[in-house]
Amino acid sequence: MTHADVLVIGAGPAGLAAVAELARLGLTSLLVEQRDQVGGAIYRRHAGNGNHVLLLPEHHRRRRDGLMQAYTQAQERVTALTASVFIGVDRDGRFLIDNRRLGRVQSVRSKAVILAVGTVERVLPREGWELPGVVSAGGMQVQFKETGQTPKGKILLAGSGPLLLALAAQLAAAGNPPLAVLERAQPLASAWWQGRAVFNVLRSWPHVQEAALYGRELWRARVPYLTGWQVQSVQTVADGLRIDARHSSGLARQYAVQHLALHDGVLPNMTGLPGAAQSADNCIVYAGDCREVLGADAAIDDGSRAAQQVARFLGQRCDSTPLDQAIAAAQRTQAALAQLFQAAPVAPTANTVVCRCEGLRRSDFDRLQVAGSAHELRLVGRFAMGACQGRFCAHTVSALAHEYGVDFDPAALNGDVPRWPLRPVSLAALAAYSELESVE
Amino acid sequence: MNMSDTVALHFYWCSEPVPFRAGETIAAALQRAGRTDVGPAVAGLHGRYFCGIGTCQACLVSIDGASPVEACLTLAQEGMHLAPALLSQLARTPGADA
Amino acid sequence: MPTVAPSNAAARVIVVGAGIVGAAIAFFLTRAGVRVTLLDARWPAAGASGASDGAVSVASKRPGPMMALACEARTFYGQWVEQGIMRDIYHPRPTYLFARTDEEVAVIAHQGSDLMELGERILPLTHAELMQRVPGLGRHVLAGMKVPDDGHALGYQVVDRLLQASGAQVLRNTPVQRLALSDDRVVGVVTPAGTLVADRVVVAAGLGSGVLTGLQDILIPRKGQLIVTDRASLTGAALRGPLMSAGYLAAKRRMVLGQSSISLVIDPLATGQFLIGSSRETGFADRQTDVQTVSTLLREAMAVYPALARQRVIRTFAGIRIGTQDGLPIVGRHPTLPGLFIATGMEGDGICLAPVIGAAVADMVRDQPTRFDVSVLDPGRFGELPLRSAE
Repeated sequence: MTHADVLVIGAGPAGLAAVAELARLGLTSLLVEQRDQVGGAIYRRHAGNGNHVLLLPEHHRRRRDGLMQAYTQAQERVTALTASVFIGVDRDGRFLIDNRRLGRVQSVRSKAVILAVGTVERVLPREGWELPGVVSAGGMQVQFKETGQTPKGKILLAGSGPLLLALAAQLAAAGNPPLAVLERAQPLASAWWQGRAVFNVLRSWPHVQEAALYGRELWRARVPYLTGWQVQSVQTVADGLRIDARHSSGLARQYAVQHLALHDGVLPNMTGLPGAAQSADNCIVYAGDCREVLGADAAIDDGSRAAQQVARFLGQRCDSTPLDQAIAAAQRTQAALAQLFQAAPVAPTANTVVCRCEGLRRSDFDRLQVAGSAHELRLVGRFAMGACQGRFCAHTVSALAHEYGVDFDPAALNGDVPRWPLRPVSLAALAAYSELESVE
Repeated sequence: MNMSDTVALHFYWCSEPVPFRAGETIAAALQRAGRTDVGPAVAGLHGRYFCGIGTCQACLVSIDGASPVEACLTLAQEGMHLAPALLSQLARTPGADA
Repeated sequence: MPTVAPSNAAARVIVVGAGIVGAAIAFFLTRAGVRVTLLDARWPAAGASGASDGAVSVASKRPGPMMALACEARTFYGQWVEQGIMRDIYHPRPTYLFARTDEEVAVIAHQGSDLMELGERILPLTHAELMQRVPGLGRHVLAGMKVPDDGHALGYQVVDRLLQASGAQVLRNTPVQRLALSDDRVVGVVTPAGTLVADRVVVAAGLGSGVLTGLQDILIPRKGQLIVTDRASLTGAALRGPLMSAGYLAAKRRMVLGQSSISLVIDPLATGQFLIGSSRETGFADRQTDVQTVSTLLREAMAVYPALARQRVIRTFAGIRIGTQDGLPIVGRHPTLPGLFIATGMEGDGICLAPVIGAAVADMVRDQPTRFDVSVLDPGRFGELPLRSAE
């Protein structure tokens, strides 16, 4: 059994902020991170000698550097278990960790737990989205951060949301601007009649600076930002991908590229996780984007706030009001951005792959006859029965079911009982299970 | 200067050597080598890097014949022998029945 | 309460519980021209039928009525395939029983002679012969037995097919609060959406049957934890049939409250995945798995079939078998309440026995002689089964 006061899962901005704040308050923590180093996907440091430093707004850089410094100071009170994947909580309240260094599953019991596991990107399925060469925008960003290099060859970005702009600007600044950014929504047009939303975004000076920074890069590199456009289909051709795009007016266009990055938003990552809870004996708190998508800076604040909530549970006194205010401001901005980037989802065609893990298309869904519940769609239809456990198809399946008059929350596809493993785990590692011995 | 620059590191994808930098994930190295397809998947689809955070389970590879792992989460190591996660057929076929 | 004139003809029947037993009963009734409404508190196969291992197996049954009924049921599945109802759902598959100790060798031999008495084909196998049929088998397996004529069907797929084929009206998310009685006769069920009337009511609701039929103290939950792996390859089932430990046979006969045991089955699914089970936890009805039970199951499984080391676990889950005080299912007319029928207590054999139970109950409901003899399963053996008041 570990002797740490608090178990913190995820070493991205929220998790690092949490352990740093806990340490500042005199509390020790066990920090579990799936990657080989802390920072998560957001603060992924690059290996080797990649040439380009990622384009980053000044306030992001300041907060990131401040956080890494705070973490360094906190290290005495933090035990970091890297290359270790959190795979859920079992019936007996054991938090299970797939320790890939050791090659076995370990368990930890803790009265106080902070879950900071980040988001899952939403990617609407289109024909050919499953092809090699198609990645998510977040995925392209992670690889960029890791290698310090843009992908080689031509790139197209498509979908909806501010992340597309950030990525496009980063690629441009590093010397390989995308051919275009296809944005399904009409954020600029809607700004005319979404006055309040625009006002709320403008209230956040860091966001305005950030937009200006990205806008300047895109202008310099002449990257077309095409609103009202979406990808219809992707096909593999001799030296890459052929993409058929369509505008809401019916206009069509083709692109020949080597890489397509898709993105349709980010969602809190709650699949299969226990609910947030606080009782006399237990305190489980969520922090960062997995709780509510607010961006990296707000995630730092949310992590600090979660640490304070846990500290209060463990008998300390601290005031979270300034953090509450900062987070409330971030909520306002995010809500405003969501309004500006509103767009009707793409309806998948019959041939579109819906559940990639099980190789199921929309036509497979349409062929199901009597499935009248999420349970039946999963078991009989096999949707969400695969390795990703529905993380990428649950929303689409729920939307398709709605067309047939069967309504349920996408989370219902995972059943009504919390289940583990949250992620696939080596059978041998699970067979070699042991309780975690105390760590230094 | 980075020490790793002077030593060429390689792993093998289906016997083909792939260079990588120390501290790099398998996925990053494969991408730089221009390999996007990591082998057959269910229903005729193909594995490939997608989400980068170990969630989509599309970039699975098998290292030295062991259980599949996510290429985007796993560091490349010198001498690794990588193969697609899903065998096209089993190593041994069931024996004759009596 | 509306007074309902009792009908002698079973023209309308309500079946409570859309598990495999309820779905089978609904199937046979609608085939006979009866109008059926099938209710479930949740949805089809929400209970044990959706959390089962799919064995349609005579090999593992207790000798006596259970083994005999299983034989008839398996033949029936074959007929269903021929009629097109269960095409691609039911697969003939040999069962490979295996022993790891001398005691287990004896248990298997005993089972073998019981099976032979029933006319079942069996093939005793030495370790070497087992290795030939199951490449990759571990060293610790001493001997075994092949039962070539067994089969496999996933419970939830069978339920789905039966519902498609039956045309019964299915009401999901419709829990039954209590039976509707008129002059001491069951005339329907009371649900949050109102009272539904019928000529007969069949309760096939697993554990939920207890409070509705007076069986509260008779039904005993027996939780089983199961594990699903990813695919071994793209070419389908990794083995010709499941590996079933002798412990599986022995455990079925023991039932002491509070005692849990592990009886290993390694089931190769048609997708190339493995389903590994299971525990037998008497008295437990929660549906969560625990890492100690799961890891123990996996250690045993890896010792028996080391090739499993290449797999990943993608899911664990638990199903609740419904056991009874004397270990036999409860099927038949309620002893004291006219109009009420019961079909539950299958304790892990529901997938196999469904066609037989379904046909027999449909016959009873229609006041016909039952085409399969299930008299040994009659509920009356437990007494009068009075209903307790809601207070």
